Amino acid sequence: MADGCDNLPGTTVFTGERSRQGYRLNRFAMSLADPDRRKQFLVDEAAYMATFELSEREQDMVRRRDWRAMIDHGGNIYLMLKIAGTVGQTLLQMGAQMRGETLEQFMATRPGLAGRH
Amino acid sequence: MAHLLGGIGTSHAPSIAHAYDKKLQADPLWAPLFDGFRPAKDWLARVKPDLMVVIYNDHMNRFFFDAYPTFALGVGERHELADEGWGKRQFPALAGDSAFGWHLARSLIADEFDPTICQEITIDHGILSVLPLLWDAPWPAPIVPLAVNVIQHPIPTARRLWKLGHALRHAIDTYEKDARVVVVGTGGMSHQLHGERFGFMNPEWDNRFLDLLEHDPSVLARTGHDEYMRQGGAESVEMIMWLAMRGALTPAVRRIHRHYYAPLITGYGLVVFEDA
Repeated sequence: MADGCDNLPGTTVFTGERSRQGYRLNRFAMSLADPDRRKQFLVDEAAYMATFELSEREQDMVRRRDWRAMIDHGGNIYLMLKIAGTVGQTLLQMGAQMRGETLEQFMATRPGLAGRH
Repeated sequence: MAHLLGGIGTSHAPSIAHAYDKKLQADPLWAPLFDGFRPAKDWLARVKPDLMVVIYNDHMNRFFFDAYPTFALGVGERHELADEGWGKRQFPALAGDSAFGWHLARSLIADEFDPTICQEITIDHGILSVLPLLWDAPWPAPIVPLAVNVIQHPIPTARRLWKLGHALRHAIDTYEKDARVVVVGTGGMSHQLHGERFGFMNPEWDNRFLDLLEHDPSVLARTGHDEYMRQGGAESVEMIMWLAMRGALTPAVRRIHRHYYAPLITGYGLVVFEDA
């Protein structure tokens, strides 16, 4: 538990328990901070993930770019962002997916873009 | 003896780095952010620190969960820049200050703060996103970085950061060299980066935080993580790091500058204080 933080709606607090559950997934994502590793991953995603002993379920989340599932599984958002960066997605695209929206729908809710869209 | 010139509290965010690197300084969406930093940059140019201590957090670039420090102090003479997953930014590495770094380590530990002492510490957007808005490269002075775990719970309390500021002040006041020091605390104001609440912002809370930081910071030191997260979104718990900056200053401060702008997915806040 994180000081009662776990009761917040729409929020998955990164507790020790989640860090333990998501450890393999997070370790794989951390490796993508290295540009050579990013290239290796893009050449053959499945083979690369296998070297990190990701389960079939974990590999499937990555294959589907299902950020929400990864977060629920104990993925840390800053590490999932490294996966996204490697496959050419932005934080805003990740966020829209996690909210169940298209990027255009999400951007239309942003105050700084009023009048631009 | 060393002398504390003042403190800066600021948001940090990858978006600031992206906008800077894409040269969007004059873009209508980004100009208010960059313009808002100019008075802080002018202040630094005027007071000319020869050392900057920055309290910030690493975002899974130097540290991983195999061994995650609650506090980590960079005592090396040089701090390399991180590749956060999309390539390193085109800036020089930061200079460190080993003599002050080890003095700070001794002083903090004597004051019952026990950081992991790092002779190598790679720097990410926790410092580098805002540094080019405050200083022009080549960086005019060394930086001693102090990283805080605000990611993997349990994380230190707001009160702990506040007290860290007191200990930091004591370390500066007892440093034998004639150094002119600025303390910076960075952390994103309201934002949430994950889940259905992604994109949450609360400008009213952010501005209340800035009011309290200036006039009644002990209230913020007594505020729990759950309240920070409820008011500002989960990842905004980073705001507690501003308290280490504020705790290093006198109980009353003179505000030099304050700015706030919340266009997209986080509130960009900035304050500059001097001892009153």
